[in-house]
Amino acid sequence: MLYRAGVDVGSTQTKAVIVDETGTMVAKVLVDTGSNVVKAAERAFVQAAEQAGLQREQVDYVVGTGYGRFNVTFGNDQITEISCHAKGIAHVNPNVRTVIDIGGQDAKAIKIDETGDVKDFVMNDKCAAGTGRFLGNSAEVLNLSLDEIGERSLQAKVPVRLSTVCTVFVETDILSHLALGRSVENILGGVHSAVAARVVALARRVGVEREVALTGGVSRNVGMVHALEKHLEVPIYVSPDAHFMGALGAALFANERAIAVAG
Amino acid sequence: MAAIGLPQLEEAQDLTALVDDLRVLFEDPDFKLASEIKRTTGKPIVGNFPVYSPVELFHAAGAHPVGLVGAGNQIEIAHADSRFQSFVCSVIKSTLELGLTDRLRDFDGMVFHSICDPARNLASVFKRNFPDQWVEYIHFPQNLVSESSVDYLESEYRRILDRLSELTGKQVTNDDVNQSITLYNRARSLMRDLYAFRRDNPHVLTTKDLYTVVRAGHILTVEEHIRLLEHVQRLVQTKQGHERDHIRVILVGSFCEQPSLDLINAMEEAGLDILDDDFMLGRRWFTEDVRADGDGVRSLAEAYRDRSVISSVKHDSRRHKGEELVAQVRSAKADAVIVSVPKFCEPGLFDYAIYRRALLEANIPHLFVEYEEKMWLFDKVQTEVETFVESLLLD
Amino acid sequence: MAENAEKRNYRGRLHDLQKDLMNDYFDQMTRSANGEGDPSVYLLISGNPVELLRAFDLLPIYPEINALQTAVKKKALPFIQKAEEIGYSTDNCAYVKADIGLYFSGNQAPMAKVPPPSLLLTNYVGCNVYLHWWEHLSELTGAPIFDIDIPFLRTPDGEPRPEDIQYVMRQLGDLIPILERISGKRYDPDRLREVVELSRETGEYWAQIKLLTQLRPSPFDAYFDAVTMMGPLYALRGTKEGRDYFRDAYLELQQKVAQHEGPLPEEKYRLVIEGPPPWPYLRTFREMFERWGAVFVASSYSTVGGLWEFGFRHDPANPLESVAMHMLKWNLTNRNFLQRYAQLKSYVDEWGADGLVIHSVKSCRLFSAGQGDMREYFARQLGVPTLLVESDLEDQRYFSPAQMRTRIDAFMESLEHHKLVSHG
Repeated sequence: MLYRAGVDVGSTQTKAVIVDETGTMVAKVLVDTGSNVVKAAERAFVQAAEQAGLQREQVDYVVGTGYGRFNVTFGNDQITEISCHAKGIAHVNPNVRTVIDIGGQDAKAIKIDETGDVKDFVMNDKCAAGTGRFLGNSAEVLNLSLDEIGERSLQAKVPVRLSTVCTVFVETDILSHLALGRSVENILGGVHSAVAARVVALARRVGVEREVALTGGVSRNVGMVHALEKHLEVPIYVSPDAHFMGALGAALFANERAIAVAG
Repeated sequence: MAAIGLPQLEEAQDLTALVDDLRVLFEDPDFKLASEIKRTTGKPIVGNFPVYSPVELFHAAGAHPVGLVGAGNQIEIAHADSRFQSFVCSVIKSTLELGLTDRLRDFDGMVFHSICDPARNLASVFKRNFPDQWVEYIHFPQNLVSESSVDYLESEYRRILDRLSELTGKQVTNDDVNQSITLYNRARSLMRDLYAFRRDNPHVLTTKDLYTVVRAGHILTVEEHIRLLEHVQRLVQTKQGHERDHIRVILVGSFCEQPSLDLINAMEEAGLDILDDDFMLGRRWFTEDVRADGDGVRSLAEAYRDRSVISSVKHDSRRHKGEELVAQVRSAKADAVIVSVPKFCEPGLFDYAIYRRALLEANIPHLFVEYEEKMWLFDKVQTEVETFVESLLLD
Repeated sequence: MAENAEKRNYRGRLHDLQKDLMNDYFDQMTRSANGEGDPSVYLLISGNPVELLRAFDLLPIYPEINALQTAVKKKALPFIQKAEEIGYSTDNCAYVKADIGLYFSGNQAPMAKVPPPSLLLTNYVGCNVYLHWWEHLSELTGAPIFDIDIPFLRTPDGEPRPEDIQYVMRQLGDLIPILERISGKRYDPDRLREVVELSRETGEYWAQIKLLTQLRPSPFDAYFDAVTMMGPLYALRGTKEGRDYFRDAYLELQQKVAQHEGPLPEEKYRLVIEGPPPWPYLRTFREMFERWGAVFVASSYSTVGGLWEFGFRHDPANPLESVAMHMLKWNLTNRNFLQRYAQLKSYVDEWGADGLVIHSVKSCRLFSAGQGDMREYFARQLGVPTLLVESDLEDQRYFSPAQMRTRIDAFMESLEHHKLVSHG
């Protein structure tokens, strides 16, 4: 049996996935990227090989993806995370036509066909509104961890209306709401709703077609999933491995390429 | 208030209550009053995007011009930001959003003007997204030194009149135009009087109230607006006010996208007596009456060149905006200037640099504030204004 | 993918010659600044009526060219910051800020000393910022302004109205005595005819050059190589040197056609691009496409100064009228946004392109405001693969190489797949 890997180097986390020739996932690993991007890629890959009980030589093709894709020094190829997310999600759910990926620094909407080919995509502009960073900043102001804000936002009775979606000014906005006596839950409801509105606007640019999947780190945030469903008025598919979709897609590309090279 | 419309004026003896009723009319993102006017008068509705618009022509042609100045903080922008980027001002997007969310369904036409690059492109985007709608674009002359600019504008106005006739089916006579000029002259003269009253009595007629009364004219018929203005003129004569420990300022920069009424109020409350401003210039853009006994279209074209207000979107190499602002401050005996510009408004932001140079030179204090129509909380602006007021009062 | 195209793009005589000519032009500027050469008149790129200046031996100065040359050398930021210190907003056009900053730095640009204007000629051809820019320069330098107000193309047929043409002609009539006064020369219609004839010939060569990119492979890149030729097109149009440059360039490119040579070793993708280039990152931006073997076969930006490839020629029989029509009708910026859609569509169709790239620059809202709608039209209504990316034409702070590259790579990956599938 031959094995291939995908390494997705993101700004905060690095993910590695190993698949066998049939495309079955045999290992998945997530590490913090930290300051040394090259080492993070290496570490994730080595740990994934260990998890699968493989010698690194048994993995004959590696594709790097994500912002740090050119730092996967042992990679045979680099492919953008847009193509990889599409590929990965189509593999786990071929009915998906629209992929929403919310990462730390950017948000994207990708329109795909049943084979995972990218038909169209858009990414957020310079403005960081609608990205994980907006959520992160909000959590920070409220002195909460990123893991708890989603859950708590669900308890919002009257979500507040933010006067800005600017990542820089959200802090002042939240403080004003606190001063007005609004509950943390209502504020979080407003924060999630604001991000969802931006992301949905992005998704409308490629045209929202069912099914809609959410991938990337923010997919673990239940509040975000809920807010998106509310704004889109359609259910959202979240794979249990949603944050590994980029790495999985990269591994699947590695599989295809290795076969092509072998001729 | 019984139906959607101008409140019963005989009963409205309290200006504050009247203003509360009126704000509902223009803050309504569904333009129910415009629909009502269309239903009762049978007139087609044409939306006028800021700033200047020859409303007399629309009136003369039998249409009802409605000032369409975005949607304030009344709606969320969910579709229009896919058409216009994040660095484009809000009023462009919110106006398009009104269209994309079908709130302009009772509008028969839209007219845009040569005020800035985004507004011009918006006219095209409207055409593509609403191919069945009557969409016009007026190019105002920018070379006002040349005699030819009046001839040109006259021809442009005649073209618009022809296009309006296609919409309303009415052949417009010179008398029609002159009658409309007479009406709008009356409304403008009343607004000028109220502005003069507010300058002398800012504690009696607040800017929030004056603004509301003027802004209501963007949706009411001109005949009703005149009735309203006359009524308010009577009301303020007997109204009592308390002198406040405020600083006296001229406010510039808000000629297109408007701050919400609550923001205007917040700035006043923070310690400003606003003696003059450039809010809602569209219906009060002539500094004197327009001739109403000549060739009406020609008179309007001449008035544009010779007796219209200067703003960041009107270029006239005979005049210097910085010097005019300083003169305005001096004649109103104002203490300071508030330059309040909408975020991303390129014309307003450019002029700030000119104002800044002129004000520094003349040793007139000023405060620069940026706002967006969709702002909901004003803590930052309020703090800035309060600090500015304190710094002047403590001097 | 990722078998990177060789990073060796085309550099021919037309590039070297351009450098020499532009250096000469900048030397003239410096001489004028030192009070030795011809008096200078500032004017703007859009539909520029440079013939009027050449006929009076006035030196045309384009602050846009100064700004972009400064940006290409990555020297614009200190000027921009200088302007921001005195009240100009981060949201104002950075060309203007770089120019204002230059003024407050003693007018010493990296490539020349810029002379103060004898006249600020505002050819208001679409761009609203032009009016502001010149207003500011007039205040600072004390130089007089003459606005040539060009009515925008706004009617359904997209043509100027007879009254628009009369209005422009009358303004040109007003302008001539002013040019006489500044130059100290009498208006000589025969001299104008000569200049306009040179422009006609220049336009003829330029139009032929622009049509060569319909061939496969395209002999040059209609964005990155076209901008090289745009300097002489504006700074030297109406002169013999300018005309000869375009004749030589045309001959050189014809040879490339005969040898089936393109700007890259292999033309894998043909793209159309909308919007001005990111001048501070021009090289980087180019490489991002080159590595995929992508060549731009048409660009809207190269038609800001004029739409010769769609039939415009100056007319020595009616010199003033043709200058007026150039400003009114025959340039990109005085046409409405939907006319631009049509122009880009014809590029995609007639130049045989695989996709459209929209480079949305924050500074220039004339170009960018509404490009989301343009994207919608091409991607969703026409089904043309379309990529929208954002940065700026002058301010390097708005260019993020990593983000830009990811977007371009993803777009090229999908085009590559598209090709594989459609070619079986």
